[in-house]
Amino acid sequence: MRRKALCIAHLYPELLNLYADRGNIAVLQRRLEWRGFEVEVVRVTHSETPQFSRYHLVLLGGGSDREQAIVAEKLRACAPEFRSAVQNGLPVLAICGGYQLLGEYYQLPSGEKVPGLGLVDMVTEARPDAPRLIGNIAVWSEEVGVIVGFENHGGRTRHGHRPLGRVLHGHGNDGVSGQEGLRHLNIWGTYVHGPLLPKNPALADAVLRDALGYAHLPEQLEPLNDRLEQEARTAFVSLRMEDVAPMLRTEAELR
Amino acid sequence: MLGIWIGKLILWVLRLGGRDATSLPGKVALRISPGLIRHFGRQVKQVIAVTGTNGKTTTTSLLASMVAEREPVVTNHKGANLAQGIATAFLRSSSWTGRLRTITAVLEIDEATLPAVASDLPIGVLVVTNVFRDQLDRYGELDGTLAKLLDGIRKTQATLVLNGDDPLCRYLGLRSARNAVYYGMSRETARSPRREQMRDGQFCLMCGRPLRYDGFWYGQLGLYACEGCDFVRPHPAFQGALEGGFLRFAEEGLPALLLDLPVSGLYNAYNVLAAASAARAIGLPAEAIHAGLRAYQPPEGRMQRFYLEAPVTLHLIKNPTGCDSVLDTVVSDGRHKVLVIGINDLAADGRDVSWLWDADFELLAEDPRLTSVVTTGLRAHDMALRLKYAGLLEAKIRVEPDLGAALHEGLSQSSSTGAVMHALVTYTLLHPAARWLSERRDEHASQGPLYRTSVS
Repeated sequence: MRRKALCIAHLYPELLNLYADRGNIAVLQRRLEWRGFEVEVVRVTHSETPQFSRYHLVLLGGGSDREQAIVAEKLRACAPEFRSAVQNGLPVLAICGGYQLLGEYYQLPSGEKVPGLGLVDMVTEARPDAPRLIGNIAVWSEEVGVIVGFENHGGRTRHGHRPLGRVLHGHGNDGVSGQEGLRHLNIWGTYVHGPLLPKNPALADAVLRDALGYAHLPEQLEPLNDRLEQEARTAFVSLRMEDVAPMLRTEAELR
Repeated sequence: MLGIWIGKLILWVLRLGGRDATSLPGKVALRISPGLIRHFGRQVKQVIAVTGTNGKTTTTSLLASMVAEREPVVTNHKGANLAQGIATAFLRSSSWTGRLRTITAVLEIDEATLPAVASDLPIGVLVVTNVFRDQLDRYGELDGTLAKLLDGIRKTQATLVLNGDDPLCRYLGLRSARNAVYYGMSRETARSPRREQMRDGQFCLMCGRPLRYDGFWYGQLGLYACEGCDFVRPHPAFQGALEGGFLRFAEEGLPALLLDLPVSGLYNAYNVLAAASAARAIGLPAEAIHAGLRAYQPPEGRMQRFYLEAPVTLHLIKNPTGCDSVLDTVVSDGRHKVLVIGINDLAADGRDVSWLWDADFELLAEDPRLTSVVTTGLRAHDMALRLKYAGLLEAKIRVEPDLGAALHEGLSQSSSTGAVMHALVTYTLLHPAARWLSERRDEHASQGPLYRTSVS
């Protein structure tokens, strides 16, 4: 039986490609293909206009300040379509710079405010005197358990929604609130890259379930052999974030 | 200066112990005498500096080898390109009282270190090889790297020798208000892009519009022109073209030279082109360029070869573009092969390993002659995961975090199947891997010809 393909849009991969988002796309695509789903990945470049009604999942990655400003301008031009699709449940995975773009504005260290898409109630500010938040990070999410990765951002983000999770190690949204990322509608926003998904297969599958539900495809995902993924998580945590190891063990017992 | 004396003492002690120090003496000496580099800078007449993301070490060694045909030079070895490495290079050439016997220095300088040392050194010629994405956590983002380079360049009065095929180098030339000469490959040798690779600088840094490319060499090096303004690849004053195993080096008004390529690969042809262009910029004659290339010894990890039970080639990988060039070389090796890939995440490797996902490891999944891969190093598991999602069968991947055990495993797999071995490692694994392989070679040699297995 041939089912319709799940359509994943990678927005502006040539501009927002700072943190290997190609890895996130590979994980989403393979994890569907290994389960027999048809997948179509659409790379939407700067010269094209996104067709939000066609997509079942949108990935927005991170770029430098300059590239992010170009993307903000592009996306503002089609913000109404994007907004109504998101209100209808279009899943969005937004990472680092892409995450910042979802809010009201992003303030550069110079004080200049780059307007965002206003999809969520959120602002980001990069002050010239504040250091970049850089390093390994671990987050506890009620939905998907421990999320691990690397963060590297100058902006501090505040928002009026649920966070993705609680910071176990590292900085998160602003380095002080103990919150990381954002969950609202089917939006998954986060500063965690590394890239995000390879070492966080539970998160990848949660995002995929949202996308399958939105596409009216069966949401049931058969378990995969994630031996390498789990080993990579354990090895990374015991090497770089020993304080998170007990949490990871608890999670493994629950699984 | 007390620092000089202490630094020399450490050098001497280490040398007695049979160790070749590239950084430690300078590090200690700089802590005691922070003005050390300025002190030496005042004594030399001319510094030729090499910076950029990839190819610094090879270009510096090639150029130093050419200049050394004419006069003794001070140069930093083995990629010790931070302030302490530069100080160590000077200490090595100085007397115990801090006097230098040489008046010319050829120095490799890290992009982030350049602004800190540029005003202390009489840099007459500065080569920028290219600007690629490298170790994001150390340098901030690419725009930050460009700002640091510009800051450093503006503290010198140097003539710039720039890679004109790289739009980011061209930008440096336009923005620096310094005299710039460009080198580049000859137009006809550019090719159309083969596959979707990650490229930096696809947008004009002057006006933000997209760059149009008529052809590529690798990474973002190519025939670019902005759609919106007059930003365009400059016509290179020094042109290179690969011809067989040689590089045809042409300079307007002079007969072309056919240069030896002591190291293979397109990226190394760029290094030879950069070194020859800089040599011309300081007025070296053709004989010195030829002789310098002949005398050149490839540094550790730049395709260093070891003849063990199976032939082994050791490669350094440190960022996506450099890694893609290495992967290209590996898959174009038509023999059956076993790979050992070592990834560390220490400061010198880059603490963020996300670059592994920007590199084109998918090439390996398409190579039918790849027998197996052993991943090693502190981030061996991340590398294994990368290969799994690149489409390599999980059965072909083995994780062995211990470097020695991994090299051993790779070697026994390749010798038992008659395959060759390629070892690809990040910076902090390079010396340990080279040492392990050399010791193995010595053992191997001492066992005499009777023991030699015939794998042909």
